[in-house]
Amino acid sequence: MLLRLDNVQRHFGGVRAVDGVSLEVEKGAIYGLIGPNGAGKTTLVNVLTGYVRFQSGRAWIENDELTGRPAHTIASLGVARTFQNIRLFKDLTALENVIIGMHTRRVDDTLAQLATIPIFRAGQRNRMNEALQLMESVGLPKSSSERHAGELPYGDQRRLEIARALALKPRLLLLDEPAAGMNPSEKQGIRELIERLNADGLTILLIDHDMRLVMGVCQRVAVLNFGKKIADGTPEEVSTDSTVIKAYLGTGGEREVHSALGAGGVAEETVDEEAMSAARDAHEPENAILDVSDLTVSYGAIVAVRGVSFRVASGEVVALIGANGAGKSTILNTISGLIRPQYGSASFDGLDLTIANPSQIVRRGLVQVPEGREILARQTVLENLELATWARRDGGAARKQIEDVMKRFPILGERRNLSAGSLSGGEQQMLAIARGLLAKPRLLLLDEPSLGLAPQLVDEVFRAIEEIHKDGTTILLVEQNALRALAIADRAYVIETGRILLSGSGDELLRNPAVRRAYLGG
Amino acid sequence: MDFFIALFNDPVGFWNSHSLLIWQIGINGIVATSMFLVLYSGQLSLAAPGFMAVGAYTSVLMWLYWHLPLPVDIAAATLLAGVVGVLVGLPVLRLRGVFLAIATIGFIEALRLGVILNLSITGKGLGLKNPGADPLGGVNPTLISLVVIVFLVWRLTKGRLGNAWAAIRQDEIAALSQGIDVPRYKMIAFVLSALIAGYAGALEAHLNFFVDPGDAQYGVTRTVQILTFAILGGSGFVLGPVVGAMIFTLLPWVFSGAGAYLNIFSGLFLIAIIVFRPQGIVGRGGLALVRPSWLPRASVRAPTPG
Repeated sequence: MLLRLDNVQRHFGGVRAVDGVSLEVEKGAIYGLIGPNGAGKTTLVNVLTGYVRFQSGRAWIENDELTGRPAHTIASLGVARTFQNIRLFKDLTALENVIIGMHTRRVDDTLAQLATIPIFRAGQRNRMNEALQLMESVGLPKSSSERHAGELPYGDQRRLEIARALALKPRLLLLDEPAAGMNPSEKQGIRELIERLNADGLTILLIDHDMRLVMGVCQRVAVLNFGKKIADGTPEEVSTDSTVIKAYLGTGGEREVHSALGAGGVAEETVDEEAMSAARDAHEPENAILDVSDLTVSYGAIVAVRGVSFRVASGEVVALIGANGAGKSTILNTISGLIRPQYGSASFDGLDLTIANPSQIVRRGLVQVPEGREILARQTVLENLELATWARRDGGAARKQIEDVMKRFPILGERRNLSAGSLSGGEQQMLAIARGLLAKPRLLLLDEPSLGLAPQLVDEVFRAIEEIHKDGTTILLVEQNALRALAIADRAYVIETGRILLSGSGDELLRNPAVRRAYLGG
Repeated sequence: MDFFIALFNDPVGFWNSHSLLIWQIGINGIVATSMFLVLYSGQLSLAAPGFMAVGAYTSVLMWLYWHLPLPVDIAAATLLAGVVGVLVGLPVLRLRGVFLAIATIGFIEALRLGVILNLSITGKGLGLKNPGADPLGGVNPTLISLVVIVFLVWRLTKGRLGNAWAAIRQDEIAALSQGIDVPRYKMIAFVLSALIAGYAGALEAHLNFFVDPGDAQYGVTRTVQILTFAILGGSGFVLGPVVGAMIFTLLPWVFSGAGAYLNIFSGLFLIAIIVFRPQGIVGRGGLALVRPSWLPRASVRAPTPG
């Protein structure tokens, strides 16, 4: 065994980010670590690499114990890593970045440097040659070696970070979402790179949300959910494991529809194409209140949304579902006027959303409840709600509406004078939705309302959403918890890497095995 | 203008008549290099005047009371500044950015107001007379020291140590992931910077007949001045802070014709540098000026057709 974890735990306050995980990674393997958003994958990597302390449990790389050692020692033991949000030395050249990676292997040359003894310049020449070789081996063009790391294109920055990690001559390479934000051909390139490094004998622990990548490249996969390992095995075993499917797609609540999907399995893949084309033809509403067509949005070089078209009619509940990083939140943020699209159009009740500013859009009745809730943790519940009515001039009516909202969410009324930060995750989500309601929405955008919530709280939140809908508010829901979202949605669109993969009524999609594949690859 | 005319007409005479100015440039250059070291390793430490004070008082007191030869006094004073650097660094270097700056200001003010102004041996608030000072003889040693120190620091930034400092300055978390012992390398930079500042303080004390415990000497005013040398001179290259020290020490002489308006001219000059050379005088991009985004581009209007 190259890497061994024994019952590793790490809690943050009451949150069990990593809750007793044991793993064994064999030498020479590519081992995948997957799990829904917030499952504790990055925390586990941070614990292993010494950035976050172990609460309990132990870990070894071969015979060297990692437990309780500082990050730089763990790096010098041969555990190299990359970061989810690229962390290069931006103002240094690409070459300097890689040379810094050789730090632990270099003899301390301070005195020689002071004396400027020429023999030691040979050492520097060797390092430069080695660094150039490493850059070449990860597929970086030679011309980029003298450029500042921060100026390289996004994909090259990812590769440079890998080259820098390789400069440590590691025994184990931890890749934290190396393909995040890449287009399919760049992802293919990263996949080939990972396979090539592994063929040269490097053991790799890969974390990524792209299931096609993880399932395609890894020999073994472990799945985390709520900090616990819920499954491990070969990609085939894991992707058909019913607990894994439940963790990814969520549960259907009272309707218990997950069995329909779980039964999908591998056998049904032949009917897939038919089911998909049938679903694609699902008719769109005629007189839509929200009309999005051919929307394309990019962040710099990364294209997050590629030509997405959909409509929402008044009174509907429409869900956008898909795995993390599919582009769902970007679509919502574009509709809210927070991001401008590259091309395509979006209109709400005659208002052009691609040019209107966010406050105009809110006044027209299109209100977003953002992902992660974004409440003011130090203000009380009441103050949070009052702030939402701050711009309004109808003081009395606004106060009455706050009381109404508190009646709708009694828990908020009970806790009106507590600080919002002391509420549980589910209550905070209620508060965020309540705040959205105070803006008198005709169309309410909900971004991941179930994010990070325990199943029974998810039930409560979804019950509240259904009630709001019954009162006549149109809802556009973005969810990772697909089964939950499909269970309450009139229609839904499945998004994968910025495109609409298929669409149809909630019930149709619930029975469509292609949905599972969009989440778990295949 | 008289200043430049004198410089070109009679360089030797200028050198002799401005030795005070020249050694001031030398001392400020050394202190600015000390500031460069901490900034280069990503630490906004403002402790330099404190270490200068340690160096100054130690060397003068050793000379006054024990009559030891000057080199011994200065060497001992420098070492003591380094020891104080370790003692201050241990608790303080866990802090980053503005918090480190505030903590180090706390150190220099505690030293000046709490110790120097209260001990009778340092002359309390009255200062310390140093009859053995040699203002003229000190010019050449100061300039030689400056050259040697700048050279050594430049060499250090080129090796493994300098690579580690640069990595820490850019991103501490990434530096850790490359096996760099961040606290250790920060401490090395901090203590080296303390040694250099202590040395500069000891030298300076022997160029004056009087060690002045004022704010402009060892307090916040001095530290802001040193920071100005380093930032406006350009903190990415060793020569930047030295060039900054030279230019800003010369400013009062250059603008001496402005009389009472001196501070206005100096201030405008500082603002101009910040606006047009945000990376400092010595830095990337040769000597090119940066066009701030609010400044309208000189536009050439195309003739309208028809």
